[in-house]
Amino acid sequence: MDLSFIFVQIISGLTVATFLFLVASGLTLIFGVVDVFNFAHGSFYMLGAYLGYQIISYWHVNFWAALFLASIWVGILGMAMEFFFLRRIYGRAEEGGFQILLTYSFILIIDDVVKMIWGTEYKTIERPAGFSGSIKIGSAILPSYYLVIIIIGLLLVVLSWLILNHTRPGKIARASAIDREMLGILGVNVPLTMTTVFGIATALGGMSGILAAPLRSVTPGAGIEVIIDSLIVVVLGGMGNFWGAWVGALIIGEVNSFAVAYVPKWASLFNYLS
Amino acid sequence: MSKKFFLVFVTVFLAVCFIAVAGSQSYAGAKKEVLIGALYPMTGRAGLYGKDSVAAVEMAVNEINSKGGVAGYKLNVLFTDSKVKPAYAVRIAKRYILEDKVNFLFGVVSSGVGLAVTQVSKKYKKIFIGTDHASTRLTVDNFQPYYFRVSNNTFQSMAAGALYLKDLQKEKGWKTIAFIGPDYAYGHSQWDELQYNLKRYGVKYKVVGVYWPKIYTPDYTSYITSIMKDKPDVLVAGFWGGDTVAFIKQAIPYGLFKKMIYFHPDAGGNYELMSAMGDELPLGLILSARHHDNWPDTKLNKEFVNKFHKLTGRYPSYAAEGAYAGIYAIAYAVKKVGNPNDTAKLIKALEGLKIKLPEDPEGFTSYMRPETHQIVQVQAIGVTVPNKNYPPATRMLGKWKVYKAEDLIPPMDYIKSHRKK
Repeated sequence: MDLSFIFVQIISGLTVATFLFLVASGLTLIFGVVDVFNFAHGSFYMLGAYLGYQIISYWHVNFWAALFLASIWVGILGMAMEFFFLRRIYGRAEEGGFQILLTYSFILIIDDVVKMIWGTEYKTIERPAGFSGSIKIGSAILPSYYLVIIIIGLLLVVLSWLILNHTRPGKIARASAIDREMLGILGVNVPLTMTTVFGIATALGGMSGILAAPLRSVTPGAGIEVIIDSLIVVVLGGMGNFWGAWVGALIIGEVNSFAVAYVPKWASLFNYLS
Repeated sequence: MSKKFFLVFVTVFLAVCFIAVAGSQSYAGAKKEVLIGALYPMTGRAGLYGKDSVAAVEMAVNEINSKGGVAGYKLNVLFTDSKVKPAYAVRIAKRYILEDKVNFLFGVVSSGVGLAVTQVSKKYKKIFIGTDHASTRLTVDNFQPYYFRVSNNTFQSMAAGALYLKDLQKEKGWKTIAFIGPDYAYGHSQWDELQYNLKRYGVKYKVVGVYWPKIYTPDYTSYITSIMKDKPDVLVAGFWGGDTVAFIKQAIPYGLFKKMIYFHPDAGGNYELMSAMGDELPLGLILSARHHDNWPDTKLNKEFVNKFHKLTGRYPSYAAEGAYAGIYAIAYAVKKVGNPNDTAKLIKALEGLKIKLPEDPEGFTSYMRPETHQIVQVQAIGVTVPNKNYPPATRMLGKWKVYKAEDLIPPMDYIKSHRKK
């Protein structure tokens, strides 16, 4: 067995895993804290990519500044969705059904809005300046942009763990997942916490969208394509668990990577077996 | 009193409805129109194909109607989003036939939807003009007499591909091949038909890898590194749309295109790829599609492309020309028969279809093959070269190699053996 190829596939798997994790991180946060399964999370991912495209291509802003701006905008849109719509269904009988209906309808609405603004043609963003090349490690090639993605993914998982476990806002967020009523009695503004967490989660979705845009096609419908795999990651990692999501994504990424190399005919199946 | 008023109101209301319905029926009867029920995707990744098709249909219909229509009939097209869902498209096709009373079913981008709608066409004996979907199964394995396709299928692309690879082997002496394509009928047909045609044209080769990612796979990294381990001389790709864009973008930083010949003869050369990738698109990729905006260099093709651009503000993807051809095929048949209602005669007329299309080079006219109801066309395969005449694309195809239409169609023994299965 060729060791350098195994190393290459491990890195490939890690890259695939990091993208899966980036999308799933927001999803798991919303599920863990707000207790909503946001089917439209993929649409915020897509929106991030389109906003990134708009900011970079039309306003000629640097990629990293665009990453920041687009994520903030998507976060604000996410907060608006929570404030104006989701808030109306909290605590209703059959809330789960309403959640599916409402968040699914947002997939259709966001898809149509994107189509109206940017059309149906595929859009692309170039890789940021300085990260278009690759690094050679032995005989293995690693595109430098992928390395950035892997580092961002790791930073995100450590940072979110630190915030959720060792800061007061993080503890409040976790507490609101357990007992909102008690938290309210203790004087915490629970609705504001929920809106903020929803905003952060959708901003993470938007951020992963713009980070993925230089490597994928930006097109209407792109949101639905990422949501299924992200759902598997969230379930595998435990809802609301960042480390779990990262490990879940890693398992899927690596299993898939080696299945592609050694049993290509059955590679798709291995996502579900893992 | 109020009861009386209510009764009067209901009577008047019903009378008005009756008059309106009767009026509209007599109006429709007097209007003399060819009613076409079109199904195209308007959402998701395939939405671009749908939008381009609709624009081209409207262009063709306006051209024909502004000249007075055909045989005294005006063309009228109903459009519905197919949602790329076979079961939904079947419902709409039935509604078109039973409620709207269309004369023709029309359109469809996905082969999966096409295979479902052709069953409706067969059951209700209603002619279905296929304009874009490429699976050979519709004209070979699942052939039925009411179906006609007016754009090339995957067999024709793969036959042209095999001939190109044969020439390329003489030039570059390639020996090994790998294939990657979406894991559904469209991808598998391409690989089977390429192998069949390579054998048919006596090309010797060794397969070093075959990969089947799901359609719409967002991340091809593991496939790319695995293909690079296989070290094929030629990588044949069978993607369409955004999957092509994603694969190429992700393969660039690995230097894949410097290490092997990238060959993508069915949908790789669609304009959408050039417009999406701009300067990022590597030079020297060997691609083709069912229609090219810059080939052939004929008056008809230039007029088609420029008119489409003027109307929509963008250059057409290949789906547009297929839809445009479909409307002209209907006009041809109705003109021959003199009305849009005599299905048996319309089938005969379409079987003898000869039609000059934008994609036909000088000296060639597309025609229908009666045995398969598949249009027979020339195919040109090109290489990505710098060209800024079709913005936002900065690369287009050039260095064309053109393959004779008759060499690209499946032989009768192939058709017979597949229809037996």
